[in-house]
Amino acid sequence: RRKISSKKLQSRNQTPTSPNPHATTMTSFLSATAAVRSRNGEKCLPIHNSEGGATISVSFDGQNLAIGTGKYPTASYHDDVGIDHGITQAPWERRFSPYEFNGGTTLAISGKDYAVVAADTRLSSGYEILSRNISKLHPLTEKCVLGSAGCKTDVDQLRSVLDIKMKVYAHNHRKPMATPSVAQMLGNTLYYKRFFPYYAFNVLAGVDSEGKGAVYSYDAIGSFERTPFSASGSGQSFLIPLMDNVISHKNRLDEKRDLEAEEVVEIVKDAFITAGERDIYTGDAVEIMIIRSDGIQKELFQLKAD
Amino acid sequence: LYELREERTMTPQVFTNLLSNILYEKRFGPYFAEPVVAGLDEKGSPYLATMDLIGAIETTKDFVVSGTCDGNLYGMCETLYKPDLGKEELFETLAQALLASVDRDALSGWGGVVHIITKEGVMSRELKGRQD
Repeated sequence: RRKISSKKLQSRNQTPTSPNPHATTMTSFLSATAAVRSRNGEKCLPIHNSEGGATISVSFDGQNLAIGTGKYPTASYHDDVGIDHGITQAPWERRFSPYEFNGGTTLAISGKDYAVVAADTRLSSGYEILSRNISKLHPLTEKCVLGSAGCKTDVDQLRSVLDIKMKVYAHNHRKPMATPSVAQMLGNTLYYKRFFPYYAFNVLAGVDSEGKGAVYSYDAIGSFERTPFSASGSGQSFLIPLMDNVISHKNRLDEKRDLEAEEVVEIVKDAFITAGERDIYTGDAVEIMIIRSDGIQKELFQLKAD
Repeated sequence: LYELREERTMTPQVFTNLLSNILYEKRFGPYFAEPVVAGLDEKGSPYLATMDLIGAIETTKDFVVSGTCDGNLYGMCETLYKPDLGKEELFETLAQALLASVDRDALSGWGGVVHIITKEGVMSRELKGRQD
């Protein structure tokens, strides 16, 4: 498509024909930055004109360079964003992203016979708040809760898929799934979509079959590990070093002791106050769940709504 | 030059302004430095400021952070800070905040240095951290 015969060029631009029969002629809309590349003979097809319609037409037939000959309209069929939707010349494609970040932070901490999991309740899109009251925590069994931040639609879909798989398991094995098995299944489910991932940052918290607290951290494509605590989402960098210091007792010389569930909940509240202050996507309220072998306790703690 | 002309030491506020101007001079070819200024003014009250690489000043009363793990540092400082801490307590707080933050950053670490600035002088201590 880029090769235009010298005859055609002659009639359109009235430039002399090239004596070289192998010369390829190029005519295109180019943004200022791509103009130099084109002049140097590199083929370039701009996909998105991010410079907002400041285009010049360039034709080069191997010998002569004709710039801005004015035969083709520049920026007249472009919309406000400065993108030509393929009406005039080149097929300019608007980059559609299938992902959107809906914000949020999740935190999970494991204890001797309990696990605490918490997530803020704000749903946002860009600088806008869509809801102050959306739950990011999802109980999968009586002993296991999944907290996910990221793109809400991917999170919801992932949960549906997990719920179905767990029903099938319960049907086949005649018992609910144990937490380490849920952890493995979530990892596998995420890897299934390795090349078009779920945009979900997960933490899994629960009690294992022995009654001890279990927390698992995940990345978007299913790599997981059992850890003493896990934080993910937009506020994770504010929370993780704090957890290192307070929960894992790193860089401390005083003696480490087991913490009670109530103490851990206070730490979680402090942590979310911090994250709410410094992260724009975190705030409104924190939903906290304490998971023990005998059941799940819930609490809603209000944060600043700014 | 300032000290020669004014016959007194520069206060932190004036120094911060000077630094900001130096950075902004290089607006289109900046120094890749994001400094933090801490000191006591002529009355003895503490002064804190930070700047981005082109000299935009931010002064706070509680804490300022800067660096590759600034997110980590914000989290630690926000949680651990209390106003009116004593010298030793402040040192402990600073040390814990710094060590915990750099341990979670691949580009920072290998120890630390803490300076506590008082009317009597500057107390400097080196921190031993993870050597990785």
